[in-house]
Amino acid sequence: MTVDLPREALFRRHLRPGKMMADLWASREAVRSLAERDWRARYKQAVLGLAWAVLTPVMLMLIFTLVFKHGAKVETDGMPYPLFAYLGLLPWTLFSTSVSQGVLAIVGNNALLNKVYFPREVFAIAKVLVALIDMAIAMTVLFLLFGINTFMPRPTSYWAIPMLLIMLAFALGVSIFMSGVSVYLRDIRQAIPIILQLGLFITPVAYDLSYIPASVRGIYVAINPLGGVIDGLRRSVLLGEAPHLGITVIAACSAAVYLVGGYALFKRMEKGLADVA
Amino acid sequence: MLPNGAIDVSHVYKRFHADKRRALLRDQIQILRNRVVRQTRPKWRWVLRDIDFKVEAGEAVGLIGTNGSGKSTLLKMLNQIMFPYAGHIDVGGRIGALIEVRSGIHPDLSGRENTFLYGSLLGLPRREVAARFDEIVEFAELTDSIDRQVKFYSSGMQMRLGFAIAAFLEPEVLLVDEVLAVGDAPFQQKCLERMRQVLEAGTTLVLVTHDLTAFEATTQRGIWLKDGVVAMDAPIRQTLSAYRDFIETYAVSSAADSGPVRITKVSVSAAEGGHVRADAPVAVRLVVDCDEAVDANLYLGISEGAATPVFTVSDEAHLPVGESRIDCRLEQLPLARGRYALWGGVYTTSGKSLAEWRPLLTFDVSGAELGSAPRAVARLAPIVIGARWEHS
Repeated sequence: MTVDLPREALFRRHLRPGKMMADLWASREAVRSLAERDWRARYKQAVLGLAWAVLTPVMLMLIFTLVFKHGAKVETDGMPYPLFAYLGLLPWTLFSTSVSQGVLAIVGNNALLNKVYFPREVFAIAKVLVALIDMAIAMTVLFLLFGINTFMPRPTSYWAIPMLLIMLAFALGVSIFMSGVSVYLRDIRQAIPIILQLGLFITPVAYDLSYIPASVRGIYVAINPLGGVIDGLRRSVLLGEAPHLGITVIAACSAAVYLVGGYALFKRMEKGLADVA
Repeated sequence: MLPNGAIDVSHVYKRFHADKRRALLRDQIQILRNRVVRQTRPKWRWVLRDIDFKVEAGEAVGLIGTNGSGKSTLLKMLNQIMFPYAGHIDVGGRIGALIEVRSGIHPDLSGRENTFLYGSLLGLPRREVAARFDEIVEFAELTDSIDRQVKFYSSGMQMRLGFAIAAFLEPEVLLVDEVLAVGDAPFQQKCLERMRQVLEAGTTLVLVTHDLTAFEATTQRGIWLKDGVVAMDAPIRQTLSAYRDFIETYAVSSAADSGPVRITKVSVSAAEGGHVRADAPVAVRLVVDCDEAVDANLYLGISEGAATPVFTVSDEAHLPVGESRIDCRLEQLPLARGRYALWGGVYTTSGKSLAEWRPLLTFDVSGAELGSAPRAVARLAPIVIGARWEHS
């Protein structure tokens, strides 16, 4: 059977940014409930409970210290290596958890998807929120590390706040986008762990941003704003300098593009989610 | 902006992919390549075509139709879970939906957590849900198990919780799909009761069910979907009788008449001539054809549509070989004006089937019409009884 309809009869969603933001704000309870649920489900089952949030970055930090400090002798400009690595691992873990969980955000909530309407980005936002709480818990270890290394955070540490915002924007943008894509391309779930593993090594987590040649550093940070975030964190918290201005601006703009672009693309995908999922 | 509770569905079309495809990278690439290289166009299955109706705030509408007629898809679009291909849908106010049996229910969470989660997804602040929480638990009869994980609930319990949440969070529009099938009879009754209360409070109701009497009990207007188009949009009684006619021709023709006893002719007429009237005797005449002589029980019944009969009568008879005529005089039909079906069946005295119990024909009855009662009053009652009232 063929049905021919004039173009103007086709359904069009009128998405105004103001309305989208208002809808999202109205769904804040839902974000909270979903995050709370994920949080509980995760820690109820695990024997080690909360320790899991800490364990992942700490293990990696120990491995990196062993391999990169003592083995590969990574240059850290006088920063104690465990702290250096941990400050890279915190943003990285936030990002990788957001993405790996974001891929499952909608696919794993099929039951809810088919029953109630609310903006679908809520699923991914809740996942990022959980990752953020994980990071807050993992931060306690940071203070422990300061003690062990008898190292005081520098007074310029307040720069960590804009850095946090940049990486949140980046993580949200990618996570929201991936939550939609994974509905249409289910097998992407298998690819994500590999891509993230690769990402851990091409992001300056174990080494310094200065290892990336200066000529491509700008482009690099534009593609991967985490590089700028990690560099900014290390400079301000460990070295007592302001973050590199140019790099920070590039990272901020890039993260904003990821967020707005990822969100816009997601909203276009949203229409067909229930048909496919 | 529509007023709260109103629904506007305007020239809505919905289609799904008809080809085999999976949400996998490999399949998607294949599809893309076919499209670019071979210029094949995707095939579509049209689920709904040119659906167009409006519902006023506070109206109660039943969506009627056989399986696969597009009712659930339409309900999902009203609930903004799915989006139409063409046309547009507007719903004013908050929507509470009970779509699929376990609506709004997440298996890993406890009943309590589910209630709050669903409330939050409807956009209700926590304290508003908390204020209604006790009512919900009591209605769902889950006082003892509200803190258990929902996956350990029976399907009846899940349905009860789902219904209670949807119906007690006071949405402006309540969408209910096929839920009454799961609960036991007392709970079904309770749900109907609650739906009437909700209606009285001014909520708009859109109901999908296969239990036709539930429609009559709760809705005023019936929209019949047939193969994705609106076949009829009329007061519920009219739509139902048209739908029942449709279902009947279906049912009568599908019952093969090949038993040892065959009912070959059937007629229903007024015993004293003229139209069949509700308040006058009615003559039913059957001709049966038997392969061998048998002592049998004859059963006759009258139903409104293909549902179960309103009443039955029976008689013992000795049926000789060949054709024999059977007359039955019904002294009075306690029925309202309308169209009814005559059912018949022949069984041995030990209960073995000789001619299967099935609708034989439909006939019209003239007589009193059931008064149009206020919406909240049940119109389940299919029979008419004379009553004398005194007021002092």
